[in-house]
Amino acid sequence: MIEFTINNQPVCAQKGETILQAARKAGFYIPTMCYLEKTTPCASCRLCVVEVDSTDGLILSCQTPPTAGLAVTINSDRLEKERTNIMKLYDVNHPLECGVCDKSGACDLQNKTLEFAVSAQNFSAKEQHRPVQHWGLINYDPALCILCEKCTHVCNEIIGDDAITLQFGGYKSAVVPKNSDVLDCTFCGECIAVCPVGALVSSNFQYTANAWELHQVPSTCAHCSAGCSLTYEVKHASIATGTKEKIYRVTNNFEVATLCGAGRFGFDFDVHATKDEELFTKAVEAFKNSKAIRFSSIITNEEALILQRLKEKFGVKLFNEEARAYQSFMAAFGSVSGKNSFSGSLESIAQSDAVIVLGGRVSTDNPAVRYAITTAARHNGAKVIYMHPLEDELMQNVITQMVKYEAGSEEGVIAMLAKTLLNGCDVSDEIQSFLNGLDEGYLCAESNVGDEEFAQISKTLIRAKRKTLVVGLDILNHKNSANIAKLCGLIEMATDFSVVVISQHVNTVGVSLICDLDSDKPTDNVVGYNASGDFTVGSMGVCDMLVPALNSQEGTVTSLNYQVLSMNVAIGFEGYCLNDIANELGIREVNTIDYTSQLPIQKGFKGVDFDSLSNFYGPLGEDNRGYILEMMDVACDGVIDDVCQLPEYNGTIAYACNPVNQFNIYTAHTTQLEKDNALRGSAQFAIAARLAHGDRVTIEGHVGTKTFIIDETLKGTIALNPFYEESTANRGYRFEKIKLTKVES
Amino acid sequence: MHVEPLQDRNVSELSAYYYVDIPDYPETGWDKFKQVMKRTFKGELFVGLWVVLREMIKFDIHTVKYPLEKLPIGPRYRAVHKLLRLWESGFERCIGCGLCEKICISDCIRMDTRIDENSRKEVTEYSINLGRCIFCGYCAEVCPELAIVHGERYENGSEQRAHFVIKDDMLTPLDWLTSGQQQEYPGFGAITPNESVKSTPLAY
Ligand code: SF4
Ligand code: SF4
Ligand code: SF4
Ligand code: SF4
Ligand code: SF4
Ligand code: FES
Repeated sequence: MIEFTINNQPVCAQKGETILQAARKAGFYIPTMCYLEKTTPCASCRLCVVEVDSTDGLILSCQTPPTAGLAVTINSDRLEKERTNIMKLYDVNHPLECGVCDKSGACDLQNKTLEFAVSAQNFSAKEQHRPVQHWGLINYDPALCILCEKCTHVCNEIIGDDAITLQFGGYKSAVVPKNSDVLDCTFCGECIAVCPVGALVSSNFQYTANAWELHQVPSTCAHCSAGCSLTYEVKHASIATGTKEKIYRVTNNFEVATLCGAGRFGFDFDVHATKDEELFTKAVEAFKNSKAIRFSSIITNEEALILQRLKEKFGVKLFNEEARAYQSFMAAFGSVSGKNSFSGSLESIAQSDAVIVLGGRVSTDNPAVRYAITTAARHNGAKVIYMHPLEDELMQNVITQMVKYEAGSEEGVIAMLAKTLLNGCDVSDEIQSFLNGLDEGYLCAESNVGDEEFAQISKTLIRAKRKTLVVGLDILNHKNSANIAKLCGLIEMATDFSVVVISQHVNTVGVSLICDLDSDKPTDNVVGYNASGDFTVGSMGVCDMLVPALNSQEGTVTSLNYQVLSMNVAIGFEGYCLNDIANELGIREVNTIDYTSQLPIQKGFKGVDFDSLSNFYGPLGEDNRGYILEMMDVACDGVIDDVCQLPEYNGTIAYACNPVNQFNIYTAHTTQLEKDNALRGSAQFAIAARLAHGDRVTIEGHVGTKTFIIDETLKGTIALNPFYEESTANRGYRFEKIKLTKVES
Repeated sequence: MHVEPLQDRNVSELSAYYYVDIPDYPETGWDKFKQVMKRTFKGELFVGLWVVLREMIKFDIHTVKYPLEKLPIGPRYRAVHKLLRLWESGFERCIGCGLCEKICISDCIRMDTRIDENSRKEVTEYSINLGRCIFCGYCAEVCPELAIVHGERYENGSEQRAHFVIKDDMLTPLDWLTSGQQQEYPGFGAITPNESVKSTPLAY
């Protein structure tokens, strides 16, 4: 605690806080133009200047921490004059196009210009011709840019793409793509969100609507397990084609939260239907006669509970292999750690000073995890140890140590890792003997990770205080995932690491907690709910009966943080939903959200109503979204098995891995996201598989043909095989030995 | 005649007023009968009929032949809207800012906009529901470009309550513009269309 004064009033600051942060907390207003809570200070606007008693000059409050007893003045004639002059400079030659500008009034420059009453231009500069730049999903108008550098800061510090930079040239300065003519990035659109003026805008949205016409619906992203907070902005579609509502754009509270491109640009996955009695009766019949329901985890907690009730009432089986894998993993994990969930979270990753990522391609599996790792690396100088058979171009600039292991050898790797991390920890004899019994020579040889690499890991971690282990999606479907889970549980229990286990879909966690899942065996009379079946009910692509997609539903999901988050209706849906079917079958509630308060309390849910769940960030960044599930104690009776034979993968191997911003059949249906389903391999892979760039191939055991592309950024003999277009979640281990056949065109 | 004599309301040699000669009212029944007969058969009825017949044959009518003929409307009259073009370039004046849509108190203006090939905002659809419009003139007043104005076309009867004018109905046709038929309405920032109107020189 540092005590100082602002305008003669006592204020306290935490260690590490700046004058600006302390002032804001205490309710003082200091104008800023370039300040972003989640990045390091851009320090480009100088609007945040304050006077202090220790020096004559003005200091920047956004980057200066207070010292004890400091007397700060935030309003004075001198400061007012200084700030007004800055605003006058900002306004020089700024195009007078507020009438058409996408900011349409929600503009920091407009606000501050009015605040400081700048009504005339007293300086002049020769106007330059600066044409608008078209960068795919993003348009950039240098004439509107005020060079605040917020965009470059988020891109570098939070996203990690580091794709844009400021080109300095006096009055000609502008934001430019880094080392390239056109923007080549992951198109998260975060730069659009933070831009205080209309310089960076979404090319799809530009000039289609004014901010004041859009109706804002706060919700949660439906595409991955991070469950990022977002706001759908809705308006009638067009006066020419009728008045149906349409989502125009997605915005977020960019001061504290971040979205990836799928959340920001992949919003039009809604489906439409009308009430068709005949079809409805058929669907009810199908459910009544079904032996099993196969479903995906892209549903709400409430739908999951309805399905569970169907199981309890009619004894149907529930198939969801993806959630079942997570469920079994967490059960095994808990049997060693003693808790039903893990202690880490996206926030704890971002605050770590050391992160180990094991067994997953986080950059595309869960961008929020990637952003948290980038934030940790950039803000805390976190050491990032990345363990995977494949290098990831997108993670390259934050990785401290890359540990490459052989596909399939995860169990050996994590056993060795546990041994390394537990070194010096107080553990039971049983565990000590397990660790001593590991056949290091064999494990190192088979996994191709040497002793020295583990030694390096311990060295890297020496000074780290807040450490997180991120367990990726590969592990969940590994043949020996149960034992791997126990080893992860051991690390959670015995070391000071927090563990985060990544789940795949938006509500994998919720489904795994709410439903008793059966193993998916060939059965007749399977109803597919958002998944394949003999009769399909769902909101993806072609279905026998359509039900609302997640942007047309009220309900909750449980994110990978074990946080219950609410979703709201952005686009109305006229047809029937699962609750209607359940009502016909005698499981009665008026609305789907009546189930929110019935979610199982023994699993940590709190039994609160949907309508009492909030969904917003407070002015100082407080997370007021839903609630976090209570962590439950479970029996700690797991026994870690010996690690024996590690599976081997030789020849041509495909790794199930989606391109950036593609996650599932829903993202595949959106209009803006790039749909690239090509099989990507290195030049070496091409030689091994006897393929040339551009060949059409079929993969044995998979439907359809794909184009093969040689990707310069890849190495080795593992190709990347996108699977987002496939609707069922039953995938198995992500590395797969494949047989490719060239299709002659 | 001058007004002075009329101001003297007294009947005298000097004033313009005099007594009219009013015959005595008939008093007996017989007298009343005689008056009726005299008025009926004197032929005055036919004088009137003849005037009507004569004027009808002459086809020299002095009333307005609506709907073939309309009286000129004052420039401030607020009838069906028009969308104007720029004199110098023929471009549409409307920039699609949406202020008219926002200010409209009967919520009857709607528009669709998009980004065009030159990265400018383009108004693709623009409609006003005349059935709701109360012709308050707010839209014309708020328009920063003097693009939307009220015209003089006041007939908007319709068999339905909702009826619309769309952009094509309201926008000045290009040949009207070149032939100088686009009317300019005086007001703040209005121009006087003449040769001195030129496109802005861009010094790039
Ligand atoms: S960025 Fe702001 S000030 Fe500039 S034109 Fe747009 S709305 Fe106006
Ligand atoms: S879209 Fe994202 S990755 Fe691309 S330049 Fe903007 S901030 Fe960087
Ligand atoms: S593009 Fe926007 S965010 Fe980036 S420097 Fe310019 S004004 Fe700032
Ligand atoms: S896809 Fe995942 S990371 Fe991206 S916005 Fe949605 S929840 Fe967040
Ligand atoms: S106010 Fe004028 S310029 Fe703006 S949209 Fe309406 S008509 Fe067009
Ligand atoms: S907020 Fe401090 S310099 Fe801009």
